[in-house]
Amino acid sequence: MATTSAPLNTKLSQPDAPDVRRDERARSAGTGLAGWLLIVLVFVFSVEFACRVEDWVMYRMPILSRYRSLDDLVVRDAMGMHGRPNARFEKWVMNDLGMRGPPTTKTPAPGTVRVITVGASETFGLRESPNREYPRQLEDSLNAQVSRVSCSRPEIRRFEVLNAAFAGMGLPTIEQDVRNRLAPLGAKIVVIYPSPASYLDEQAPAAARPDSSGQAEQAMPLRRALYPRALSRMREQLKQALPEVIKTPLRARQTRAMVAAHPPGWRFESVPSDRLAQYDADLRRLIGTIRRVGATPVLVTHANEFVGRPSADAPMLIAWEKFYPRATGRTIIAVDSVARALTIAAGADSGVVTVDAARTLAGQPLSAFADFVHFTDLGASVMAGVVRDGVVGAVCSAVESAAPADRGGAR
Amino acid sequence: MLFNSFVFIFAFLPVTYTVFWLLRTSRARYVWLTATGYVFYGYWNPRFCLLMAFSTLVSYSAGLGFLRWTDPRRRKLCLVVPIVVDLSLLAFFKYANFGLQTARGVAHVFGADVSVPHLDIILPVGISFYTFHTITYIVDSYRGVIRPTRNFFEFSTYVSLFSQLVAGPIVRFRQIEEDLEAIAAHDRRRWIQRGVSFFVIGLVEKVLVADTLAAFVDPALASYASLSTLGAWMAMLGYSFQLYFDFSGYSTMAVGLGYLFGLRIPQNFNSPYKATDPSDFWRRWHISLSSVLRDYLYIPLGGNRDGTWRTYRNLMITMLLGGLWHGASWTFVFWGGYHGLLLSLYRAYGKAWDALPHAARQAGMFLLAVVGWVFFRSSTFAMALGVLRTMFVPTSGVLVAQPALAAMALIAAGSWAMVGPNAFEMRHEYRLPGRLVLASGFATALAIVIGLRSSPFLYFQF
Repeated sequence: MATTSAPLNTKLSQPDAPDVRRDERARSAGTGLAGWLLIVLVFVFSVEFACRVEDWVMYRMPILSRYRSLDDLVVRDAMGMHGRPNARFEKWVMNDLGMRGPPTTKTPAPGTVRVITVGASETFGLRESPNREYPRQLEDSLNAQVSRVSCSRPEIRRFEVLNAAFAGMGLPTIEQDVRNRLAPLGAKIVVIYPSPASYLDEQAPAAARPDSSGQAEQAMPLRRALYPRALSRMREQLKQALPEVIKTPLRARQTRAMVAAHPPGWRFESVPSDRLAQYDADLRRLIGTIRRVGATPVLVTHANEFVGRPSADAPMLIAWEKFYPRATGRTIIAVDSVARALTIAAGADSGVVTVDAARTLAGQPLSAFADFVHFTDLGASVMAGVVRDGVVGAVCSAVESAAPADRGGAR
Repeated sequence: MLFNSFVFIFAFLPVTYTVFWLLRTSRARYVWLTATGYVFYGYWNPRFCLLMAFSTLVSYSAGLGFLRWTDPRRRKLCLVVPIVVDLSLLAFFKYANFGLQTARGVAHVFGADVSVPHLDIILPVGISFYTFHTITYIVDSYRGVIRPTRNFFEFSTYVSLFSQLVAGPIVRFRQIEEDLEAIAAHDRRRWIQRGVSFFVIGLVEKVLVADTLAAFVDPALASYASLSTLGAWMAMLGYSFQLYFDFSGYSTMAVGLGYLFGLRIPQNFNSPYKATDPSDFWRRWHISLSSVLRDYLYIPLGGNRDGTWRTYRNLMITMLLGGLWHGASWTFVFWGGYHGLLLSLYRAYGKAWDALPHAARQAGMFLLAVVGWVFFRSSTFAMALGVLRTMFVPTSGVLVAQPALAAMALIAAGSWAMVGPNAFEMRHEYRLPGRLVLASGFATALAIVIGLRSSPFLYFQF
């Protein structure tokens, strides 16, 4: 048996040997590939999971949060456009009234003077550390002085500042919000910090159309929670990592392409008077609406990094132009400057306390600005300081004007 | 540029690595590493590249002088002149204002109120490290320990090698001379796994451990006066581990980067919190600095050869200057003196200390190190004494921020530092499970890096 089986075995195994080796090689290559795939999978999962855990640790943002960007913090409903109640994305946390800041009640507590700040991203706060945006610092600053406000009545025990702003909020939308939503909140003071450059958009600002379809109340779909946060971080890092020598020409090219896509004369080469007239009208209408809801307006002139700095930072101006390609950089600066004069005039005409933040910020170091208009912690602190003086002035004049009536009542 | 930055990980390192291995000759690789070293350094402030280039030229010329002259007087000149130049630059950039303020303080003590200007000097990053690189090269050349190189680019590669340039380890020329000489003959695949592994472990130490600790340590010590006793202990324990993982993380990354280019950079930390006595501590903490201080200062001063008191004196001088090297402040000098005193006391009473159980000696040494870190971390003596008082006299006050998370971070960091293995005690030849752990660690650290929140290395300031 042995003599017959040996050649047979040899015969059988001989043609198989290369195949076996090939199979082994293929199996080993397959295992290697599977191993690498597994490593890639673990890597991707770990990056995403770590991003979510860090967001939770840093901001208490839920691991499966459905909010993906700042845009998700705004909602359009029957009342118009405003902050989405109880939404949170990274450091930006909205309270149950849909305002950035700590939880609060619909009516102010006894002894509390409620101040509402309205405006766009500069007021909402983009670049500051959490709780260092100017409305929060304004509240701290007012409360630190509450006992020293000589005109205040003893029943004023604290100030509460509600931040009703959101990025891109124009004056007509603010006016609508004051009328429809903010009126019942019992604010004594409304601080207006308008963004004149928004009047250089393709269309002049108009009030956001209310949406009564009820879509705003619907919960966001779960799939939004699965959006990879690591991707947004990478995108942001890439933007940050690009040196200015590359970023600035790219921005300039984008602006040029936008201008080239429009007919000649589309671009504002000088201050557009019709747009500024609309700014003036919108501002005066807002002052009227605030007074009608029983609050006192305080106006603040718009500050930017270029005021009082003739050797302005050219790359930053190109970055600003990218946001408003319809106007040249010099026109944007000029519009801000004319709007400042219009704001001061509107304040004088209407007897409204006006704070010239543009002038105050012009005397500060450049580090007060994180970009062309947004504040750093330092800038927000300076802003809070000047607005505080305006608010105190407005509270005092409100007390003084109320005093004769009180006396009359007593009589 | 930081090792834990997006630009370094995704742009600088891949480009430097790829081009380095595409180049074939020693000369090309030296030039490339020198150029990348200057790009890496110039990323902070390009002007300081001139300073480094000047220091490189001076030391290289001294090396040529040693090769050319045998006459002792000329050789001494080649030793003294470049060292004076290097130390003068260091003294000007790092200690000028400190010296002026100290002079003003001394004058005040003697009743003279002198107005002293504050010079607007920016401290060039890493000047303390590359100055020591060049000085050790000059001294070793003078002593005949090494033969100075004639190849300028080999020498400039040694000085400007980005992996060790700004925060060490302080690598002596003789420690990487062999690898530099054979730079064209390296096999890329030989060390890649070790290189990646060391780099990732260092990144994890820095980004996941040190930066997590920093998140509660920095704010707590910024308002130290409001801390409770427990809060002060948590802050100082946190700082002790933060400093270790920050610096050890940097050194481990440097070792990993060295391996990626075929250069073996020596170990700088050997689990210092496992030390059981002051002498052991300094054999484990910042090994490259302590060995430089030993070989170039303590031993030339006489070491322990001239009797007990001379030994104590030499120890104190060495440690006081070691403290001053860390920063232009009297708190650093005090910290150095404190360790000098510990070393002297251990020399005197070491036998009694060694009779204690191992765990007690390790815990005792750690406690002594933590007390020393109070002075190291404090910007003023008032702060140091305030923190120490809060730690040792029961005080009510606040805890650190997020105390539960902080406690978990402390336990994790403490376990790794005091019980776990350091990067040199780990195996770096991985099978699949090990690779998965490494990939996961790298990914987690990367998530923090791309979140724009990782911080600079603490040792950059020195």
